[in-house]
Amino acid sequence: MEKSTAQTGVTQASFWTVGRGAFALALLAAALFPVISGSTFHFHIAIMICLAIIATMGLGVIARVGQLSLCHGAFVGVGAYTSMLMVMRLELPFMAGVVAAVVVTSLVAALIGGPLLRLRGVYFVLITFALNELFRLVMLEFPGLSGGSSGIANIPAASFGSLVLDEKATFYPLALISAVLVVALVALVDRSMIGRRFSAVEENITLAESTGIATARTQNLAFIIGSGIAGFAGALMAHYIGFLSPETFHFELSVSYIIMLVVGGRLALWGPVVGALILTPLPEFLRGAMEFQHVFYGVALIVILSFLPNGLVSLPDRLARLGGRK
Amino acid sequence: MKFKSTLALAVGAAIAFSAPPTVAQENKTLKVGALVTLSGAGASWGRGMLEATELAASKYNEAGGIEVGGETYDIEVIAYDDSYKANEAVSAANRLVYDDEVKYIIGTVGSAPILAIQPITEKEGVITMTLGFTSEALSPEKPYTFRPNLTTAEVAQPQIDWVVESQGIETVGALFPNDETGEQIAKDVSASYERAGAEMSAIEFFERDQVDFVPLLTRIMSEGVDAIELDGNSPETAGQIVQQARDIGFEGAIIRTGGPATAEIVNVAGAEAAEGMFVHAGLDPSKDSVNAYITEYEETFEHSMNGFSPFFYDGANMLFQAMQEAGTVEDTDAVRKALESIESYEGVLGELSWTGEDRYGIAHQIDAPFYVAQVRDGKEEIVATCDIEGCE
Amino acid sequence: MSFLIIQSLVNGVILGLLYLLMAIGFTLVFGIMRVVNFAHGEFYMLGAFAAYFAFAVAGLPYPVAVAGAFGGAIVLGAIIERVVFRPFRGDELSGMIASIGLALILQNLALIAFGPDPLSMPSLVSGAYNWGGIILPKSRVVVILGSMVILAIFYYFLMHTRTGRALRALVQDREIAAAYGVRVELMYPLGLALGAALAAMAGAFMAPLFGVSPFVGGTPLLKAFIVVILGGLGSIPGAVIASMLLGLIESTTSTFFGASTADIVVFALVIAVLLVRPSGLLGHKEA
Repeated sequence: MEKSTAQTGVTQASFWTVGRGAFALALLAAALFPVISGSTFHFHIAIMICLAIIATMGLGVIARVGQLSLCHGAFVGVGAYTSMLMVMRLELPFMAGVVAAVVVTSLVAALIGGPLLRLRGVYFVLITFALNELFRLVMLEFPGLSGGSSGIANIPAASFGSLVLDEKATFYPLALISAVLVVALVALVDRSMIGRRFSAVEENITLAESTGIATARTQNLAFIIGSGIAGFAGALMAHYIGFLSPETFHFELSVSYIIMLVVGGRLALWGPVVGALILTPLPEFLRGAMEFQHVFYGVALIVILSFLPNGLVSLPDRLARLGGRK
Repeated sequence: MKFKSTLALAVGAAIAFSAPPTVAQENKTLKVGALVTLSGAGASWGRGMLEATELAASKYNEAGGIEVGGETYDIEVIAYDDSYKANEAVSAANRLVYDDEVKYIIGTVGSAPILAIQPITEKEGVITMTLGFTSEALSPEKPYTFRPNLTTAEVAQPQIDWVVESQGIETVGALFPNDETGEQIAKDVSASYERAGAEMSAIEFFERDQVDFVPLLTRIMSEGVDAIELDGNSPETAGQIVQQARDIGFEGAIIRTGGPATAEIVNVAGAEAAEGMFVHAGLDPSKDSVNAYITEYEETFEHSMNGFSPFFYDGANMLFQAMQEAGTVEDTDAVRKALESIESYEGVLGELSWTGEDRYGIAHQIDAPFYVAQVRDGKEEIVATCDIEGCE
Repeated sequence: MSFLIIQSLVNGVILGLLYLLMAIGFTLVFGIMRVVNFAHGEFYMLGAFAAYFAFAVAGLPYPVAVAGAFGGAIVLGAIIERVVFRPFRGDELSGMIASIGLALILQNLALIAFGPDPLSMPSLVSGAYNWGGIILPKSRVVVILGSMVILAIFYYFLMHTRTGRALRALVQDREIAAAYGVRVELMYPLGLALGAALAAMAGAFMAPLFGVSPFVGGTPLLKAFIVVILGGLGSIPGAVIASMLLGLIESTTSTFFGASTADIVVFALVIAVLLVRPSGLLGHKEA
């Protein structure tokens, strides 16, 4: 009996090393895929995956303090519009637009985070849902800022000095590096003191409070970091797509980030990466019949919630345990 | 042995009889993209456009393919859904242009999606045929975009002149959805009423998913308007407004200056509420070509036809003719020029040419006959025949 | 002007009653199951289709069509509770996310089955009552009378039957209810089934007013959301007051200021209420 447990321990450990190696290889292959295929369309999909990873990483940070935000899409929108205005109205360089986008979204999050985060669970979901709608309605009401419902076209491409990234193949490295940096940032946060406070708040807010953690400030911090990351994704999106309209930031966008997060793994570092990597290219398999794709999304969401509540990233672990039980 | 050869003979014969006789050698494939809305709001329009394209393509395919520059091609229609969203449209356009490598796209339905995909299609020289009503879709800087349907900008003035004069209308109220199409149409229609000598005394915008219009209609009716204008609203919304306006006792004229959707409006509002409404009609049901198209469409797809469908059937056919005239499917610059030079094309809709030099700076806007109709017993009855110059 | 004020108040009350019918099932489901049901609007949509097929296609009498929609939704709701929501009892967030998945499935299956075009739903009555210049559309009066009857039956069921009392006990406090022998195993499916059935019935009633297509569920969901936030999640009296408030605000603001203003005012109010009194005007204190 004891022997078999020990053996399981060994197989599990080796399973993990092999699993991690395979995962790293798969990521590398995915990242290099468009470069090898050389297809402009594959570059486009890869860029959309990177943007989705960044935005969903932000949502994951907010989820780390136990809150699910339904206005994440609106924060992506705030970042997109901020950067667009900086570059098109004030004629600042692209980098300044991106920095402004991050700063403005973080500030907005800091301003509304205090009262907002007093709400928990479904109440927080409901108010963020209302905020997302309000953002879209207000943008429609101020065409001077947002271009109104006709949207704003011809947003300049990303550029660094004379280097203009207006081709998909040239924008991709920027998107990929940005995604890697955001994952690294979140990994750093996870390992720091702040990360431990996040999970203490997530697990039991009352307990965390009684052990002397400033829970309100901790939640605010997560909200600010997560929303700032969303703003970053928005800025990149604006300059890549080149077109913005308030309809883009409909609450469906927030829902799509939630789906990616839940499918990938709500609290895991690699959850958003896995979710975005699987769900972003998925529409392309059913591009002619999106209604089937939406049905599939719905089924996937419910199945994963029921059987893998920690998302797809927990699958190897589950398999290993199943294997161990044998 | 004998059995085997008999079998081979029989199989051979079966193949020979089942294959179309004209196909001597393997045809090449001509890919045409259909980037339209197939899910969510706007799906009726998207389906109408897609199926029109498929119908036009199948005509050529059944005849053994389309002959261009000495080669014969089978036409393959690749349909992608944009859900009426700019971002989805950009992804789909990237795929059509770079992955499927199409040179021709029928679409998009919406205005925001066409503006969002033009940076790709114009850069790569891909010819697009869009339904999008925005005036920015056509411009001299966008030489590869065509619009094979009439928009409010074309039909508003002649139609409104006619209705205002014949019905003696002095004040008008209007309801528009708060989106890019609504905004554009509100501008065009108001200007036209002013020019026709009527006053636009109440304009209301509302969110697209609104279903209750009684408060807004109360507001408009309190201004004592002679007529309500419903151009720019989706068929469902227009139908609901008609029903609710009649329900609360509005007795003036209801006018829809653009967007052929009478059947859907009558479906939603009911024939009784829609009775007497003035609508824009793109089709003259007394024309044989129109009747033949409607019959064929409904037989092929087993559901009713969307009013924009024949525009895209004619549009797709003009595009195919342009390829044949240019003698190439690869050189879209030549095809574009051939398409521009098509004049007085005999389509389902009647005689078609390109116009729009004055308004858009480029003649990529279809010039088709159109009509003012009045709803009688749930059906359109044509009361005036129009062209861009005027109605009578 | 005073005429316009009265008319807009009347419009507002009518609208409020319609919204109440849209929202009541939503608040019930939250009260019992603690699930914010994003699929609520899709049950409304299915009810509208059921009424269309029973009344416009099969030619059955209208009350039969409504009853059919109600019965069908009871069965469907109970099955869905067992298949979809059961694993998430007690987990509000997961239940809510699952309901988003359910909404995607139902709406798009309807789109595949019925196509995108709006269907022709004949109206029951037309015209309007005119009382000294104040206008009441007959079609709305019919819907409101019908829904009053249903809500009265529902109210009786909830207040004066054993099962109704058990459901209410569950809304108030699940542990105490369980301790007093309420059969939670049965009440959960019943709660979702009733919520779905009320939504489907609203859809069946309002099909002649607001149309039949796979996309008609969006508006009722949004209105139910707002009503329930304002009134308090799970509070039925709160839903009544909030529906009236929403109807009156929408009606008066759109009549005097325009529809876009009305939307912004409503959402601003929603956010204000959530911030000041997160449990809603009449909800239980818990957040």
